[in-house]
Amino acid sequence: MQKSYLIKRILYAIFIFFVVMVLNFFIPRIGVDDPAERYYPPQGNMTDVEYDIIKQVTREQYGFDVSNLQQFLNYAKGLFQGDLGTSFRPGNPKVSDLIAERLPWTLVLSVTNLLISLFIGLMIGTIAAWRRGRWQDTLLLNMSTISTALPAFFLALILSFYFGFELELFPAYTNPNMVSGFDWSWEAVKVVMYNAALPIISMSIGGIIGYGQGTRNAVIAVTNEDFILTARAKGLSRNQVIFKHTLRNAMLPIVTSLGMSISGLIGGAVIIEQIFNWNGMGTLFLEANNTNDYPLMMGIMLFMSAFAIVANLVTELCYSLLDPRVTVGEKR
Amino acid sequence: MKKKLYHLLKICGEGLKRFFRPIGSFIGKLWRHPKGRIGLIIVGLLILTAIFAPLIAPYDPYDVTERASKGLSPSWNHLLGTTITTGQDIFSMLIYGTRVSLIVGLVTGISIAFLGAIMGILAGYVGGLADTFIMRTVDIMLVIPTLPLTIVLTNLFGKSYFMIIFIFVLFGWTGLARVIRSLVLVLKNANYVKAAELAGASRWHIMIKHILPGVSHLLIMNTALTCAGIMIAEAGLSFLGLGDPTAISWGKMLADAQSGGALLFGHWWWIIAPGIGIFLSVFSFMRIGLVMEEILNPRMKQSSNIYKIFKTLNNNYLEEVFESMDESVILGDFAEKEEEIA
Amino acid sequence: MNESELMLKLRNLKVIFPSGQGIIKAVEGINLDIEKGKCVALVGESGCGKSVTSLAIMRLLNSPPAIVKVDELKLDQEELKDYSDGKMQELRGRTLSMIFQDAMTALNPVMTIGKQIDEIYIRHNHLSKKEARAETIRALDLVGVPEAKSRANSFPHQLSGGLRQRVLIAMAFACMPKLIIADEPTTALDVTIQAQVLNVLSDMQKKHQVSLLLITHDLSVVANMADTIYVMYSGKIVEKADKRDLFLSPHHPYTEGLLGSVPKLSDTQHHFVQIPDSVPHPMFKPTGCYFHPRCRYKTKKCEERMPPLVKIDEKCEVRCWHPLHIKGGGSQ
Repeated sequence: MQKSYLIKRILYAIFIFFVVMVLNFFIPRIGVDDPAERYYPPQGNMTDVEYDIIKQVTREQYGFDVSNLQQFLNYAKGLFQGDLGTSFRPGNPKVSDLIAERLPWTLVLSVTNLLISLFIGLMIGTIAAWRRGRWQDTLLLNMSTISTALPAFFLALILSFYFGFELELFPAYTNPNMVSGFDWSWEAVKVVMYNAALPIISMSIGGIIGYGQGTRNAVIAVTNEDFILTARAKGLSRNQVIFKHTLRNAMLPIVTSLGMSISGLIGGAVIIEQIFNWNGMGTLFLEANNTNDYPLMMGIMLFMSAFAIVANLVTELCYSLLDPRVTVGEKR
Repeated sequence: MKKKLYHLLKICGEGLKRFFRPIGSFIGKLWRHPKGRIGLIIVGLLILTAIFAPLIAPYDPYDVTERASKGLSPSWNHLLGTTITTGQDIFSMLIYGTRVSLIVGLVTGISIAFLGAIMGILAGYVGGLADTFIMRTVDIMLVIPTLPLTIVLTNLFGKSYFMIIFIFVLFGWTGLARVIRSLVLVLKNANYVKAAELAGASRWHIMIKHILPGVSHLLIMNTALTCAGIMIAEAGLSFLGLGDPTAISWGKMLADAQSGGALLFGHWWWIIAPGIGIFLSVFSFMRIGLVMEEILNPRMKQSSNIYKIFKTLNNNYLEEVFESMDESVILGDFAEKEEEIA
Repeated sequence: MNESELMLKLRNLKVIFPSGQGIIKAVEGINLDIEKGKCVALVGESGCGKSVTSLAIMRLLNSPPAIVKVDELKLDQEELKDYSDGKMQELRGRTLSMIFQDAMTALNPVMTIGKQIDEIYIRHNHLSKKEARAETIRALDLVGVPEAKSRANSFPHQLSGGLRQRVLIAMAFACMPKLIIADEPTTALDVTIQAQVLNVLSDMQKKHQVSLLLITHDLSVVANMADTIYVMYSGKIVEKADKRDLFLSPHHPYTEGLLGSVPKLSDTQHHFVQIPDSVPHPMFKPTGCYFHPRCRYKTKKCEERMPPLVKIDEKCEVRCWHPLHIKGGGSQ
């Protein structure tokens, strides 16, 4: 990988973060003259005088009593010190603390789901490509048309109905306090996995089939390439052709979709979390929405965006390591 | 000035004519394809259901006054039973839900097609600053989490399907623009485009008359797939209660079922019914999109088909084919003929 | 001819591709002899079955989609037609190798060219990685790749078209095989580069006394290199002759047409002789002689019956009812 390419990508990522930051700052200010009105909307039983006082307090509390530019600079300065803002919740907790508390819960779901989808998907995709046109391949194709037409949250409802309410095998509603203080003990892991089973299964069915179909198509596309014929004409054995020539090239599109999955790790489970009452980032965001907690909402959004930016950057760098053509800008 | 405008309009008209011409032949091709036909039939039925919903639905789905018939199981009176909380007829709700799903899906899909095509062609053909600007915007859109932003925007501007469509279009064009752009970059170097450039055609002329028809197939295929994706997304947002709270949609039906105790009381039909609605509409649009993809690049499919063909091959017939190529057969023919002459 | 003098003896090769619409007859029973150390050219327009023939000799055609039937496929008196895949892998690259048409697609884009050549030595000569690299650099030197040592570490896209083709030649000659099949080795190149690459190919062939099967649509390529020429049309051999004879007195109207379309510097008076239309689709071949719809000399007989391949003299065979340039007769 060329150094200049690396630096260029990093600078570009920083640029995108800056733009996202600006958007994030301005979104709550759309449509109101005074951001305090957004942060503290008028209540029905309030007189104008009372509301003015509340607005004044809010302004002072959130630093809205200076010019917009100054506000933005303060906001940016706070961000660089790791301060995502302060929530409206009782006790005014820091947004970053709230995220730190909920993030692991979401990651339990999404990372497990991604690992399961990726590994099983790669496996069945390779098998389907291998057995192209036979029943394994046809089965995967049919499954993929069905599973893409069924939303994951519908699956989640069905699973929670059947395994949660009918068979009572797994909890249909999870208890936010399922473990008091997670300590990586086997008992705690078991409790969390028991609770996470249904959400993870409902997320990963689509993921497995998606990755399976993607892998299958990628492998077949590479098998049709001329250089595979060259490799065979060199007398390489079947395994050498598959592992040295086919799979490495087939990895390229898979890395791209893996990158997209990774950037959606945090925000991708909002509905599933809501169905299973899972105490993660998605529920946190919905809670913030219900209480009009703008600092919290915007803080989470910015965090998600930053995560996606970093994920994209890492993906691009990985891709350029796998595909030497990228650095000269032939392929994007 | 007026003349110039007239000229531009004329070009637009002709370009659009060229653009829409393939649609007719496409529907024909879809109809001839067995899988495509299934998709078309289901879409047709869904559209009819949406239009004639008041005639098909046996009850008023908004009617929450039937206190006596709450939480009924499926019967001939209520095909899919009634809701536990309000006593609405689930079958009628299912019928009316078609409207939201189709309208949101189609309107968004078509708007995205337009926006994506314009952006993709501008980025690909005009290049330069336009390209940089559009592609940067795409990159930025990609990192903003869509669902949370949708939630924030509905919080800001109120819940309505107009808002949902607006956000879908705002975020949905990016993927399409990328695809179109890379195709346009190829078309740009095609000989007929070069020829038009050399002949002195204006940029607008080339974009509308030569580039747009070139991407129309890809665009139509993508629109079908986008519609399918949007319908799923719409169901998700409605499920979270971000749609119009007064409208009946399948996503909202699922949310009502969950909060209304369908899971608890074992009323599985209340969950399955909207699920089937979502499945059918998404499935049919996806089918159409995938069949179009197959028609557009047949190579992928053919390689799979060949195994089926090989299974049905008749060995005797193959032997005959091989024998007919033999030199001795030709020579035998030759000798026979010589004999005849002799 | 004595069989021991033949490097390749091919008898009655037939290849068909069943498809949904019908059966594609790609190669219809061709015979081909290559003497040791000689260069034989197989000439014809695209779509007449040349490449399929070459892949069939390498036994690289997959079934499905292809069905291959052959009476004899002898390489240096070794019958290959019933060899298992594993046994063929041992042969390919070592005693039988191939140069492909488009070096851009025939080389693996994500692997350095050095590594791609190393593989052959590691596979067939069981060398260590280091020894293999030394051999690779020598092989690249031989085909005239400048700075072979550093070039070995570049990726295909970093080389010019001519260099890439040289890499393919180096690959084919790596183990000094008995027979090399070159499938349109210069078609993808500029004319000036074409000449250079052909010189390299012909030098290597003469120096190392390798038999060469040169497949091309371009008779000017053949003129300098080939000893014997087979002209192929729509899956059948229509003429076989020594180079000199073929250029001076072509017997088949198709050969005459091919010769007429080669530009000559000396001949400024005449226009090119052009063959109208193109090769028939392999699924819808005409009755009688396959060439008759495009033939200037066709008669009723040509439309009805396929002519047999007739020996005209010691080294010359032609498949035509009315061969040209026959002493004491013919249609001219």
